[in-house]
Amino acid sequence: MSEAHLTMGAHSAPPMEAPPFAMLSKKLAMWLFIMSDVMTFAACVAAYSFLRNATPGWPRPFHSVTTVAVMTLIMLTSSLTMLMALGAAKMADKAKAFRWMMMTAAGGVLFTLLHIRDWIGMMNQGVGLFQNPWGPAAFGAAFYSITGFSLLHISVGTIALIIVAIRYQGGRYNADDIELFNLFWQFIDLVWIFIVPLVYLMNLAR
Amino acid sequence: MTTAEGSGMKKYVAVYLLLLVITALQFVIGYQNIEGSRLMVRFLTFAVIETILVVLFFMNLGSEKRVFVKFFVYFMLFVLATMNYIWTDSFRLLLFRLTGYTPS
Repeated sequence: MSEAHLTMGAHSAPPMEAPPFAMLSKKLAMWLFIMSDVMTFAACVAAYSFLRNATPGWPRPFHSVTTVAVMTLIMLTSSLTMLMALGAAKMADKAKAFRWMMMTAAGGVLFTLLHIRDWIGMMNQGVGLFQNPWGPAAFGAAFYSITGFSLLHISVGTIALIIVAIRYQGGRYNADDIELFNLFWQFIDLVWIFIVPLVYLMNLAR
Repeated sequence: MTTAEGSGMKKYVAVYLLLLVITALQFVIGYQNIEGSRLMVRFLTFAVIETILVVLFFMNLGSEKRVFVKFFVYFMLFVLATMNYIWTDSFRLLLFRLTGYTPS
């Protein structure tokens, strides 16, 4: 290697491949996290569907899904308020973005409380992980696993949203960070869209 | 509110209303007396339509680079499709459990 090459190598940056997806690294990381989380939820739903299909006399205990309908409305509306927050953040309207994020968090809190109320109702009917009044023991385990995993995402997501909102208002986060969180919030809304028909509506008492 | 922001918000509200309508339809179908597998197919069809709307518009996947969209879609479809291998075993358990066959 000539002296000229060594000198050039010492002063110029190493050749870099152009980023293939042309997006922020943290945004790509969020997409990859969402893709891995899709696999986890899909495995849960597939296992539940397997159990439901392979078990004769699978219970259909839900007589009314009014609470679930209200929870779904809250989730869908919180998706819209999150988008409003993102829109305001992109326009650098901090106060408005913070307000919309707090409204989204309020939706998350309300959803969590209704979900816990729903669980308490199930427990009062005698539904546990290993037993229930209607027969196949796997029902309780499947129900609590899937809805519990979703509830975990939403409750932790709500806490994270409040932190993001406070840090955004304090100037530590910017619109890019709101966009990242928007991806996560829309994803957990999407998960609920699948849980409602497969776990609740398929098991309506007829 | 600028014109661009206003039109963006109008798009979001339109998709939100569409999602509400599709979800309401799911609840209506849920209360009808439809046999299990047909009901499942209808629910999944509606859920997939909702997924496409949310991913394209609310998550703005449509505005990402085409190569990323392809990567995301192909990867997800492959994973979700391969998870369906378990179905044959669930039918075996359901339909053949009364044959009395036990492996030696």
